[in-house]
Amino acid sequence: MAAPIVETHALGKSFGLVPVLLEANLRVASGRAAVIIGGNGAGKSTLLAILAGLSAPSTGYALVFGQDSRRLDPDGRRRIGMLSHRSFLYPNLTAAENLEFYATLYRIENPRGAAHSWLRRVGLANFGGERVRMFSRGMEQRLAAARAMIAEPTLLILDEPFAALDSDGVAIMTDLIRTELARGCAVVASAHARLAIEGVELEQYEISRGRLIPHPETVEAPRAGRLRSLLGRPNQ
Amino acid sequence: MSAFAAILSKDLRLELRSGVSTIAMVALAMLVLVVLVFALNPGVARGPEAAAGALWIALVFAGMLGASRALMAESENECIRALLISPVDRATLYAAKLAASAIFMLVALGAGAILTVLFFNLEFSGALVRLAPILILGVIGFAALATLLAAISGRARGGELLLPLLVVPMFVPALIAGVRASTAALSAAPMATARDWIGILVAFDVLFVTAGYLLFEHVIGQE
Repeated sequence: MAAPIVETHALGKSFGLVPVLLEANLRVASGRAAVIIGGNGAGKSTLLAILAGLSAPSTGYALVFGQDSRRLDPDGRRRIGMLSHRSFLYPNLTAAENLEFYATLYRIENPRGAAHSWLRRVGLANFGGERVRMFSRGMEQRLAAARAMIAEPTLLILDEPFAALDSDGVAIMTDLIRTELARGCAVVASAHARLAIEGVELEQYEISRGRLIPHPETVEAPRAGRLRSLLGRPNQ
Repeated sequence: MSAFAAILSKDLRLELRSGVSTIAMVALAMLVLVVLVFALNPGVARGPEAAAGALWIALVFAGMLGASRALMAESENECIRALLISPVDRATLYAAKLAASAIFMLVALGAGAILTVLFFNLEFSGALVRLAPILILGVIGFAALATLLAAISGRARGGELLLPLLVVPMFVPALIAGVRASTAALSAAPMATARDWIGILVAFDVLFVTAGYLLFEHVIGQE
């Protein structure tokens, strides 16, 4: 069996005396997707931040590409794409300038070409010259997705990727995730409720009282719908 | 384009579009100079010593604003997190932020130097040319120190208030050396008399640029 892209062992995180995560164990292999479900403040974003190397665990450890996520070398960091609650975009730069900037940081050969290609992929080709501060939240989320994926990451960390998206945006995001998985990228996403993406097998986990509980069943959506968010509790 | 050039040109582009940092720094430098001109005895305020002192006080106050702004630009939309998970190493990030802060400060201080000449009845002469490298050394040292400390104080609650308390005491050796060297430059004294003071400024710059380059990754890192 191939080494997992992400592996955590007894991962815990406390803020002061308040524990947020307790002994979380997670394994995600190449081309697989895990969805972390939980309510507000459950610890989903904390777990994702630890995987991205932005936060240090209080106990246990997280391995990404076999390296401690806290000490990823530049090549390791280059292979991670992250979509967060905040877009990581500069409001006073245009959409194209933002993507070009990140493409340069990720040492992409033709940053301008990559930026314009991704603007087309997320349906913003006509808005490349607009400053991001003029964007709606949904447009910013699409652009942030392009930023996260522009370097063709091996691990994609998506914190509530469908937040603020309209139906077109949901369709675009769904296609992007499916394409990334088909390419062999591992995906770890968070959501408030169970997700289902057509043709994609998602390993569902729930964070409850700080504990990461694997859901007994994975979800493969029926071919009929593009994406369904199965509102309600995961075991319903 | 290298990561250093990309971050620096992005910061300069953002600053050209908003002008917030530079305008605020120029305004603050001008205010400091105006206050000092009115506060000092007119007899005292005519000498190069007072002018040099006033200019360096303006550098400190304007610099504090510029150093915190350069990193603050990354807090909008939490862009700093994107930089931290990118393949850019922290030392490069530090160098780019230092360079951006230094450029903003130099623009403000250039305006400050012209105002100093006007307010303190000095002459536009070769003295200003001799002053330029001394100010550049001061700006580099201040930007190196303040960028490093802004990364530390930015993680603390009320960090912006903490920054001046950390920066000013540590900048005192460079401040003394800078004022003495600038006095020599403005009074047309032989620059040999300022050699030791300039040496202190160079040593200060080397110390804090190196410290920032080595320590930045430890202070900007994880939550």
